[in-house]
Amino acid sequence: METTSEPPLDAKSDVTNQLVDFQWKLGMAVSSDTCRSLKYPYVAVMLKVADHSGQVKTKCFEMTIPQFQNFYRQFKEIAAVIETV
Amino acid sequence: MAAGELEGGKTLSGLLNALAQDTFHGYPGITEELLRSQLYPEVAPEEFRPFLAKMRGILKSIASADMDFNQLEAFLTAQTKKQGGITSDQAAVISKFWKSHKTKIRESLMNQSRWNSGLRGLSWRVDGKSQSRHSAQIHTPVAIIELELGKYGQESEFLCLEFDEVKVNQILKTLSEVEESISTLISQPN
Repeated sequence: METTSEPPLDAKSDVTNQLVDFQWKLGMAVSSDTCRSLKYPYVAVMLKVADHSGQVKTKCFEMTIPQFQNFYRQFKEIAAVIETV
Repeated sequence: MAAGELEGGKTLSGLLNALAQDTFHGYPGITEELLRSQLYPEVAPEEFRPFLAKMRGILKSIASADMDFNQLEAFLTAQTKKQGGITSDQAAVISKFWKSHKTKIRESLMNQSRWNSGLRGLSWRVDGKSQSRHSAQIHTPVAIIELELGKYGQESEFLCLEFDEVKVNQILKTLSEVEESISTLISQPN
């Protein structure tokens, strides 16, 4: 029995990308011109992603520690679900 | 009548709230004249201006130093003893304000100092196995993850990523390394 092979995208972006590389660093913001005592750790991520044509783009973003923990928790959920499918 | 003598705690609280909205949370349109006319209508503009500047300066100093409650009390006490400083009633109002708004103001300061995109949201779904009569290949389950990214004050950008099970587990391993790093950092004395 034939079923559709391409999942319909209801996502807000038009294109799904493949993750080519995931780099990370853990940083500590110490001080800034607007705040002398910042003192917060953050996780900086650099993703390399390839679209359908093979073109590779770099995307960088940062997460606070609570955001990272939520990110990690979501990936664990995804892993649990994908295992059972 | 001087601004300092005029207000009750509630008015100064309102002023501090508006100042925080303007200075830290980026709320537009909070002008000096708006504040004066709404909160201190009986105070002359030329008198209100230095009063406003003083309050804004105090709030910025407290936020910038991320004062704990001991530092806050010491700082405010010093302000009450200064020439042209604040009254002890005003000090009490400011102290109460900082204690209840500190977390939110800190969060805004953190957001303002992040010049990269932040992670605003994450949604995902897992698509199941499918097979085709005409193709020998069985499609493996795939996770589709949508990241919502955005720089401070700018609109979101959405990034859609596809992962198979192998990839998901690779990422999970990387994330556990990140978590280990975080644990090490947190367990170290400052």
